[in-house]
Amino acid sequence: MKKEYMKSEYFENRELSWLGFNERILGEARDKKNPLFERLKFLSITASNLDEFFMVRVASLKDMVNAEYSKKDFSGMTPQQQLDGIHERVHDFVNAQYSTWQRSLLPGLRQCGLQVIEDHEELNPEQARYVDQYFVENVYPVLTPMAVDSSRPFPLVVNKTLNLCALLMKKNEKEAELEFATVQVPAVLPRIISIPSVEKEVKSVILLEEMIARNMSQLFLSYDVLCVHPYRIMRNADLSIDEDEASDLLKEIQKQLKKRQWGEVIRLEVDEKIDKRLLKILKREFEIKEDSIYWSSGPLDLTFLMKMYGLEGFDSYKTAAYIPQPVPELTGKRDIFEEIRKRDILLHHPYQTFDPVVDFVKKAARDPQVLAIKQTLYRVSGNSPIIAALAQAAENGKQVSVLVELKARFDEEHNIAWAKMLERAGCHVIYGLVGLKTHSKITLIVRREEDGIRRYVHLGTGNYNDSTAKLYTDMGLLTCSEPIGEDATAVFNMLSGYSEPENWNKLSLAPLWLRERFLTMIQREIAHAQNGEPAHIVAKMNSLCDPEMIGALYEASAAGVKIELIIRGICSLKVGIPGISENIHVRSIVGTFLEHSRIYYFLNGGQEEVYLASADWMPRNLDRRVEILFPIENEQLKKEVIHVLEIQLQDTVKAQIKEPSGVYEKVDRRGKAAICSQEYFMEYAGNLNRPQEEPVQSRIFIPAEPVEGTEDGE
Amino acid sequence: MSCTMFAAIDVGSYEVNLKIYELSARKGIHVVNQVKHRMELGKDTYATGRIGTELVDELCDVFLDFQRMMKEFGVEDYRACATSAVRESNNHIVLLDRIYLKTGIRLEVLSNSEQRFLGYKSIAFNSERFQEIIEKGTAIVDVGGGSIQLSLFDKDNLVTTQNIRIGTLRLRERLADVAERTVRYAAVIEELLNNEMRTYRKFYLKDRNIRYILLVGNYIQYINHYIHKDSNVNQITKEEFITFYDEFIQKGQLAMAAKLGISHENSTLLLPTMVIYKRLLEETGAENVVILGMDLGDGLAFDYAERKKILKPRHNFENDILESAKNIAKRYRTNRNHTQVIEHLALVIFDKMKSVHGLGKRERLLLQISVLLHDCGKYMNMSQPSQCSYNIIMATEVIGLSHMEREIVANIVRFNSGNVLPFEELAVSSLLERTEYMTIIKLAAILRLTNAMDRSHKQKIKEIKVNIKENHTMQITADTAEDLTLELAMFPEKAELFEEVYSLKPILRAKKTSETSGI
Repeated sequence: MKKEYMKSEYFENRELSWLGFNERILGEARDKKNPLFERLKFLSITASNLDEFFMVRVASLKDMVNAEYSKKDFSGMTPQQQLDGIHERVHDFVNAQYSTWQRSLLPGLRQCGLQVIEDHEELNPEQARYVDQYFVENVYPVLTPMAVDSSRPFPLVVNKTLNLCALLMKKNEKEAELEFATVQVPAVLPRIISIPSVEKEVKSVILLEEMIARNMSQLFLSYDVLCVHPYRIMRNADLSIDEDEASDLLKEIQKQLKKRQWGEVIRLEVDEKIDKRLLKILKREFEIKEDSIYWSSGPLDLTFLMKMYGLEGFDSYKTAAYIPQPVPELTGKRDIFEEIRKRDILLHHPYQTFDPVVDFVKKAARDPQVLAIKQTLYRVSGNSPIIAALAQAAENGKQVSVLVELKARFDEEHNIAWAKMLERAGCHVIYGLVGLKTHSKITLIVRREEDGIRRYVHLGTGNYNDSTAKLYTDMGLLTCSEPIGEDATAVFNMLSGYSEPENWNKLSLAPLWLRERFLTMIQREIAHAQNGEPAHIVAKMNSLCDPEMIGALYEASAAGVKIELIIRGICSLKVGIPGISENIHVRSIVGTFLEHSRIYYFLNGGQEEVYLASADWMPRNLDRRVEILFPIENEQLKKEVIHVLEIQLQDTVKAQIKEPSGVYEKVDRRGKAAICSQEYFMEYAGNLNRPQEEPVQSRIFIPAEPVEGTEDGE
Repeated sequence: MSCTMFAAIDVGSYEVNLKIYELSARKGIHVVNQVKHRMELGKDTYATGRIGTELVDELCDVFLDFQRMMKEFGVEDYRACATSAVRESNNHIVLLDRIYLKTGIRLEVLSNSEQRFLGYKSIAFNSERFQEIIEKGTAIVDVGGGSIQLSLFDKDNLVTTQNIRIGTLRLRERLADVAERTVRYAAVIEELLNNEMRTYRKFYLKDRNIRYILLVGNYIQYINHYIHKDSNVNQITKEEFITFYDEFIQKGQLAMAAKLGISHENSTLLLPTMVIYKRLLEETGAENVVILGMDLGDGLAFDYAERKKILKPRHNFENDILESAKNIAKRYRTNRNHTQVIEHLALVIFDKMKSVHGLGKRERLLLQISVLLHDCGKYMNMSQPSQCSYNIIMATEVIGLSHMEREIVANIVRFNSGNVLPFEELAVSSLLERTEYMTIIKLAAILRLTNAMDRSHKQKIKEIKVNIKENHTMQITADTAEDLTLELAMFPEKAELFEEVYSLKPILRAKKTSETSGI
């Protein structure tokens, strides 16, 4: 890569860019045009996102600082500088979260008939009686209060749990020392509890921690409770398994899961009204610095808002649930294999249903001609029909190989459980390659047909998860093309530890070939631009933070290639740098569905090429994961995919444009029609199912004419 | 179903391969899956003479994976074959049993000549140009881990084939100590090679005009790609190669492996391979290197497809086998006229007796080879020709014959005269079973009988008519005008074995059928 495109001032730090993304989601929570309950959901998402960000990214930066690693990132920041930057920005962010909650959402909820009692002193006598009764019957039995004194050490406070701490004083002892006590708010109980309402048409709820706080004295009977405040900690949870040392990956991960609870505390969240003495104790015990303490002016851990969204009623304050549309090529068809033989089938989730993908596996499990099913699984839903079908297939005597990615973050425990289940059912379970996460999404079905072996392949941009397929926008391809089938077999050979094929027909795989492939395609556009021909790249992905790819895009922009990027999350590329990135346009779409598909378009001098992939342009995708890029070659399907890109580029409602300052601004809609791409695709998917030309039904029967001899004699 | 799923497993010196084929008359041979696993079995064998437990365990694990992959494509039949690394290990019999018990896969050990023969089959099937190339002087050189096989073709036929036991892996292992101590490693390899090469040239190459070398080996494809980039040329001239070789020596194995796109783990045999290629080019004087893919697995698949009559052969391989047998016979100066006539007589008798001996096409070929080679022992010693012939055959590679078949031929020839050993006695020093023993004595009986008919080596009998009669007799009517006193006198004694084996008493009589032909 040429040095001139790699100057650190041309890059935005990936963590800060990510925070920008979370701010955009918060923007949706603040956007009054969104239904009130949808805004709750967005706020909840910002909170859970931030949790994960701390556990993974901040933790990793802390590790670097602890290890006195001070190498600068591509944007020229040391780990400490990044941490400082993050803390500063997150403090503001948390303030914005709570002001959204307090000033906008809470009053809004009250207006639409939901009273959220934040302080137990607001309870009326009837409600108070109910709350106390509920506490005694349901909450008290599961609480484990823990006091701390010289004989009892400070207890282990579990990562991410909500806790209450209190200052206690022995009753009837005037000069007694203050004692510290803590109790975990049980995660097994619902956080939101309905209580009798104050007036008709209004629903009242109270938060569990408030209920416990109110009854704290019942937990420490011989004490006076001076004050009670909630707090929450976040520990370093980044799993960095040394894979060279782990002879048995599975065991190692199980070990790490237990260890995770003991990680260093990297964030402390407290109520802004917390007693100074309590805070001092917490600070001391968790060894935490001032800048890692976050003050909130409302309930801690806002992820409970997702549950609030789920409260019954209030439908007029929620977006009506969208029902994924059937795939026209497959509706009413008995044999999915027969339909795939007729033509490749493109799937666009969640606008179109994920059922064909589940059916693909289910049918294969029962089809007598199917010999083998192979699939990579990264994250699956709790009660996955795909897993059930795979187990069924194995029991039916099919050869079933499943690659289970144990390294999928935060899903390890879950994954181990069903991996064992599959093994018991007789599937061959592969645990992936040492040092590489298998992120590709591919299913291969081998079928023995009249004229020989035929391979059916599904390739996708998203996980085989029927639940998230209703929320994430993803694309998939069902095909029985022979070159892709051969490649698919080679992919699974490789994942089983056998050497790669001498060449790939259609697929490009990370970590060995994909980066080069992308760079070559960008170079090709550069060459076209240099020859004075039109050159154009459109890329849609979740994150862009690979310096080499960004450098290549800068070089392309400088050569005159038109570049349009649709990037939901991190974008370390800066737009509008004179001579460097003036031809690059970046937009981010944050909507009801999580934008997740990865689509890459290259004009290629008129011979347009369109690809779908499981990979973003992040170093981890290109260097440390098994990822697949696959072409869409059928002209009709290619048009469909290009259409998706075009509509996203025309979005004026949910799209935000990255400015040279790094700030994202809503589209200036003057003179433009309001297009919300996600809404457009919902309608579009519905329209596909409408019969194109309704044959005219006539009630008049036409008698057939006798056949006349033709002159041709035939 | 109109297609057959077949799998071939090739256990080589440094690699274990599985290929799964779809065989059909319509689409021919189509590979549906192919996996490679690198493991240096040869390293153990060539260093210690045995394959260690760890490697056997690894091989079993790989086989279990293969077993599964075979099921994934509904494989109906397979052949798993091992070559020199297993063949040369002392413990291979035990090892094969362990592998079978652990994995259910029956691994066969191929003799060198079988292995090479299958290799040619794959070349012949894979390359449209094969027939055209072998018409001119061509050497097919297969550089393997354990040895180099050099085969000369001329005018459409295999002239000779020799195995030189210096393969890439063997070279590397043998010179492992030296490699650490010398900076002229390449030169040392060359020196070690030179001796063998010179011997080869002296005995077999003589002044044959070799124009093409067909190189078969792991790296040559990479080198060709490096020299010719993306163009589809599959021929390298001598000059191109030497230029490349000089660059290689100058830059070193490590740097060149990276340039060629060969992974580090696969590059350790690069240097010995390069030196071997270079010496071969110099020694044969060939102007061009032709790159062809040869693959034992493909050979197994073609062989299978042929035997199951799924595919018709493109090249007559039986001729190659006979041709190489003739070449061996020639080297030991056997009487061509004599063998030619009894070859014919033996086949007439064999064909006439199909229902009596119950043997097939392959045995017919073995009889032919036995006839061709039955006299070669005289070259060594006139007084014990049969025993000497036996020894010569047992020490010679006959391309296309398995070691068992070679032993059958050797024994047929041994029993051409003197006492026939009973099975129990033969079995003491041989792995042959009763069925093979029966084949031996059945064919030896025919050989003996026909040999007696040309006792004078004057080819008095050129044509015969054979009639099997009701009363346990077989009438052989010789169409000749010559005096058969000698033959008739010796005949009963030589017919004893025949009578014993077939319960048929051969009766020879001379009759002049056509008056005109005798003059």
